[in-house]
Amino acid sequence: MSIDRCLCNMNVDANANSSHLLWPSRNRILALVKSLPPPLDLDHSLIELAQLRRGDMAVVLGLVETAAIDAGRSSNESLVARLRDLGFVPGAHCEVIARMWPGGDPMAVRIGGSTFALRRAEAAAVQVRLARAGESQRSPLARPGTSAAAA
Amino acid sequence: MDAAVESKPESRPLRIALVGVPNCGKTALFNRLTGSRQKVANYPGVTVERREGERATPDGRGLRVLDLPGTYSLNPTTLDEAITRDVLLGRLAGTPAPEVAVCVVDAVHLPIGLRLALEVKRLGVPMVLALNRMDVARRRGVEINIARLSAELGVPVVATVAVRRGGADGLVELLEAARWSTPRAAPAGADAAQMPDQVRALLAAAGYSPPRANPWFARIDALLLHPVAGLLILLAVLFVMFQAVFTWAEAPMDWIKGAMGSLGEYTAAHLPAGPLASLLVNGVIGGAGNVLVFLPQIIILFFFILALEDSGYLPRAAYLLDRLMGFVGLSGRAFIPLLSSHACAIPGIMATRTIPNWRDRLTTIMIAPLMTCSARLPVYLLLIGALIPARHFGPFNQQGLVMFGLYCAGILSAFAVALLLKQFGGARQYSPLMLELPDYQWPHAGNLLLGLWERVKIFLNRVGGIILALMIVLWFLSTYPAPPAGATGPAIQYSFAGQLGALLQHVFGPIGFNWQISIALVPGLAAREIAVGALGTVYSMSTAGDDLAAQLQPVIASSWSLATGCALLAWYVFAPQCLSTLAVVKRETNSWRYPLIMAAYLFALAYFAAFITYRVVGAMSPGGVEL
Repeated sequence: MSIDRCLCNMNVDANANSSHLLWPSRNRILALVKSLPPPLDLDHSLIELAQLRRGDMAVVLGLVETAAIDAGRSSNESLVARLRDLGFVPGAHCEVIARMWPGGDPMAVRIGGSTFALRRAEAAAVQVRLARAGESQRSPLARPGTSAAAA
Repeated sequence: MDAAVESKPESRPLRIALVGVPNCGKTALFNRLTGSRQKVANYPGVTVERREGERATPDGRGLRVLDLPGTYSLNPTTLDEAITRDVLLGRLAGTPAPEVAVCVVDAVHLPIGLRLALEVKRLGVPMVLALNRMDVARRRGVEINIARLSAELGVPVVATVAVRRGGADGLVELLEAARWSTPRAAPAGADAAQMPDQVRALLAAAGYSPPRANPWFARIDALLLHPVAGLLILLAVLFVMFQAVFTWAEAPMDWIKGAMGSLGEYTAAHLPAGPLASLLVNGVIGGAGNVLVFLPQIIILFFFILALEDSGYLPRAAYLLDRLMGFVGLSGRAFIPLLSSHACAIPGIMATRTIPNWRDRLTTIMIAPLMTCSARLPVYLLLIGALIPARHFGPFNQQGLVMFGLYCAGILSAFAVALLLKQFGGARQYSPLMLELPDYQWPHAGNLLLGLWERVKIFLNRVGGIILALMIVLWFLSTYPAPPAGATGPAIQYSFAGQLGALLQHVFGPIGFNWQISIALVPGLAAREIAVGALGTVYSMSTAGDDLAAQLQPVIASSWSLATGCALLAWYVFAPQCLSTLAVVKRETNSWRYPLIMAAYLFALAYFAAFITYRVVGAMSPGGVEL
């Protein structure tokens, strides 16, 4: 994870100050980065909420319209809007408190002090990154709901 | 607030509407404000429940309180939510826009409520923010500077504790003191994407600190939401509930039977024998009594359902069952209506209103009558007692096993029908689960009693309305024309119902029903359990109630073949003939189409099942099929 993060930072740096060529291998790395899918995908820390396991804590990065639900039949906009209404907004801390058998579907997610049952397909619309241990909560919206962090 | 210059004091009650997210304690606040002075009806043309109540205020003006359906946003995804938005905007015909919107926000979960409050504010309706559950919030270390929040938000904010006596007095005082002007022009609104920032800014300004997590909630959830332990606990809860429905209800059911019996005897003794006495005793008292007797079971079942709902457990049951029910194309949300249908399909069908997706809701409505409702029990008990020997297999009684099998047959066939609807119902829209699992809390006795009273009222209205009317019609059909002089058979055989039964025998003959059963099925149309009484009439029994069943059982055991009895049991698993269920389906779907489809498919299933049962049991039993 740390290497990916480093690559990303360099990518950003390269765009900002392209005149500085301090590190010979950098062009090669940049080429490699560009040949891959967009940098966000390179960052392994960005995952779907649906991929988290029970007990995982994460920070919401954004909401995306997912193909899983779509199939041309559903209004994804309303799904994304509803998730936003429930508090799945960037910066919010969440924790997976239960996953049902089989297939971990549905799952119970604690966010903003409330708990919601989401199906996999719904949770796939929420992009998160795993919270680092002891990550501080800066926003009042962002607060883990369980004893571990809050008590 | 902008004090409107009004020349004379208002005499009309102030119209207020409660709006809030689900589980914010809005209904508890409504109960606190209005007590039992509530009216529950439907919004015109739709099946969203409209709850309105009144409260007297010290200044004599009074409040008229409308409890709007809970919603997370004014950008609606369900019918309930669309109603909330339309009422607030004054767009709904017949419901004027409220003069004040009371936005109920759970102080423990302030951010999610504040979001909705901002949306309401953008509508430009005069509003008050009620910070509910302030007691719990304080206990859990939530800090909110109410004055600052009010200043930043630009609306009055008041703390309430809906579950405590006097907990809404501050709100009433505020509503009374302020002079509310007509709605102002909507302020320039920010779009939804900026909403989180606005909420954060408000929370920061109000010095909000989030609640300490209750470590017990996490522990309880770890157990109750566990894939295996959770399901086992759910099964145990359901088992206890059904045990209670059948054992606790016995005594009060006997009292009601006894009371209705005495009332009938008293009426018969004090009225001259004739059509009027017959109508009152057999039609009105007997008919209504046959249905009233289920009131204790319905109260006990709803007591459990309301208590489980209040405690926060029911949504978790829906979570546990979502995947299982998903296999047959149902949402976990369908669990609660289907559970209620075990008492009676009518409250079950009414409970489907919480299912946002129309197709899911329709499927749930269509299979609700397949759940073994309490009205089938008298029929099951009579037939099982007459036909199935009480042999024991280890700890199990054969009669009990058959009863259990009939329950399972109902549930399994419901799932089979749902699966068929899923396969052949065409493309359906994905409908999300996104169900809030609220904090656990102890059920509040007052709210529980009010909820029960509401269910009892609905049930009694049904008994007083459609069922009574049908009973009178059926009494007429089975009494007239009177038997000719010198007739030997039972009187009912010569009546319209008897003639109808004779015609029906052509239909029911192939599935093993004799003319007596065919006749009994006709009055059974009003309510299934009435078939038992009708069989008694056909076999010229003069007593009623338990004695009747005791007398009928040997007659049935001697005159019916096992195949006929089993065919009737199979028929009753599907039993299409409950007119009040069909009437409710008509009301809930606003169309004759679905009740007709329901009646047709249930009839077909019942006929098919009885036919197969009759042939199979007939081939296996020594007597064979007699035709």
